[in-house]
Amino acid sequence: MTEEPYRWLEAVANRREYVREQLKGGSPAFAASLPEGILLLSVGAGQSKVFELFDRHALTGLGHPADLEKIRQAAIDAAHMEAFTRAPEDVSLRRLVSFGLSPQLKTNFEQIFSAPFLVELLLAEVGHEPGQDVLLRLHFDGAFHFQSNGTVVAASQPEPEAAAQKWLNAGLAGKANRSEVAEILLQAWWCLTENKAFTESLPSEKERRDGWRAAVSGRVVEMGWLARVCQRSARYQNLTLAQVGL
Amino acid sequence: MSKSVSIGGDFLSLIASQSIIPARTETASTALVQTQATTVFSFHYAGGALMAGDRRATAGNVIVTDRVDKVIEIDATSLLAIAGVPATAFEMARVLQTSFEYYRRSQLQPLSLPAKVRALARLLRENLPMAMQGVGIVVPLFAGLDQTVSPAQPQIFFYDPLGAQFQAVGHAASGSGAGTIRSILSFQERYGTPRPSQMNLEQAVQFALRLLLVASEFDSATGGVNPETQTFATIKILNEQGVQDVSFVQQAEFLKL
Repeated sequence: MTEEPYRWLEAVANRREYVREQLKGGSPAFAASLPEGILLLSVGAGQSKVFELFDRHALTGLGHPADLEKIRQAAIDAAHMEAFTRAPEDVSLRRLVSFGLSPQLKTNFEQIFSAPFLVELLLAEVGHEPGQDVLLRLHFDGAFHFQSNGTVVAASQPEPEAAAQKWLNAGLAGKANRSEVAEILLQAWWCLTENKAFTESLPSEKERRDGWRAAVSGRVVEMGWLARVCQRSARYQNLTLAQVGL
Repeated sequence: MSKSVSIGGDFLSLIASQSIIPARTETASTALVQTQATTVFSFHYAGGALMAGDRRATAGNVIVTDRVDKVIEIDATSLLAIAGVPATAFEMARVLQTSFEYYRRSQLQPLSLPAKVRALARLLRENLPMAMQGVGIVVPLFAGLDQTVSPAQPQIFFYDPLGAQFQAVGHAASGSGAGTIRSILSFQERYGTPRPSQMNLEQAVQFALRLLLVASEFDSATGGVNPETQTFATIKILNEQGVQDVSFVQQAEFLKL
């Protein structure tokens, strides 16, 4: 198969289709850069969706729990090795992903005789000021892109993800209140999981508010907060709905 | 994706797999004059545990610096005070800091207090060849929060150079000025008013600074406290909320009381 380029391309395309199919129904994840820090949010079973990686770094995403766990462990190993052999200040998301996670994901995706990673990831690094924040969207095939502000969404399908991100970037522009931002992210989460289009036919705000509250019943809203200013080197903290005032 | 680690969440196994072995070096037959750190102590006061250390490092009769921080925050609920050779002690502190955080992040739960206490004992045991040759000896103190009880209680531990660990009932001290400190602490605990365990924060900090002042009168390797030159001690407290720093400004205020 690998000696015939056409069949190889077909196999890769099939894998892409397979991964997307497997990821369908995954709970979307969000990261938003705010003046006082970065908020990561998703809905899961508790300690299953939003994770601390290192002092200023966190991870969220969707996919197969075992694959998510492998990548989380690999990122934590690499970050701590880097911090120990050099310094904690040398741990950067850009290097961690560009030279570590991304090549490994790409290799794994293109090795068509082994199982691909079933994940869509979102990583965040808090900077000294909002302009230095790094929000990184990493796909199952190793492709990634950075942005330094606004909101990033990780969903199972690219089109709804892009629509949600556009809607959020417009809706959250200028908003600094963590509680208000979490509320809007949860509305977007509900719209994505309910396959609501981010168009004029989007449900009213009241429907969205009621919708996410009903949908998270029996599940855990997982939130991570990377504080921009903190006395300790570890900036990460898990948040509950009550802690953000929802 | 990650290389296999023999014990889940064990940072020492991870660095061993990468051939990065900290605090282990070949020893020489003749020892150099070593830089050493001196007096550290810890005692329980009414609000938790206080850990303090002077800031002097010496090599023989030479004062290398009066600005060493010998009380180190390992994580949000652990403190280490170092006495002995700073080169080895600081490396041990760095290994512990990374190990505890690595475990907490990778295993999604904090390391227990007994495991933290043993982690330091393990590093001391691994340093045994150096200690036996008189090079790189470290005799630290450790304070951690026991979170199996409510409210969480700080506990103080002291070690011997071979890695044996002991829990201190009221206080512990290490370094060349430790004899003086232990004598005063024992006296105060038995006959003093208030006893260290009854002191509030202001009284405890003032008492700690005075302990260092007295120790520095009897031990040239212990740096004292001198408000005129802004030379204070490193003092940290551990209570239910975790580790907190007592700043030089606070120390200056409390010393005047």
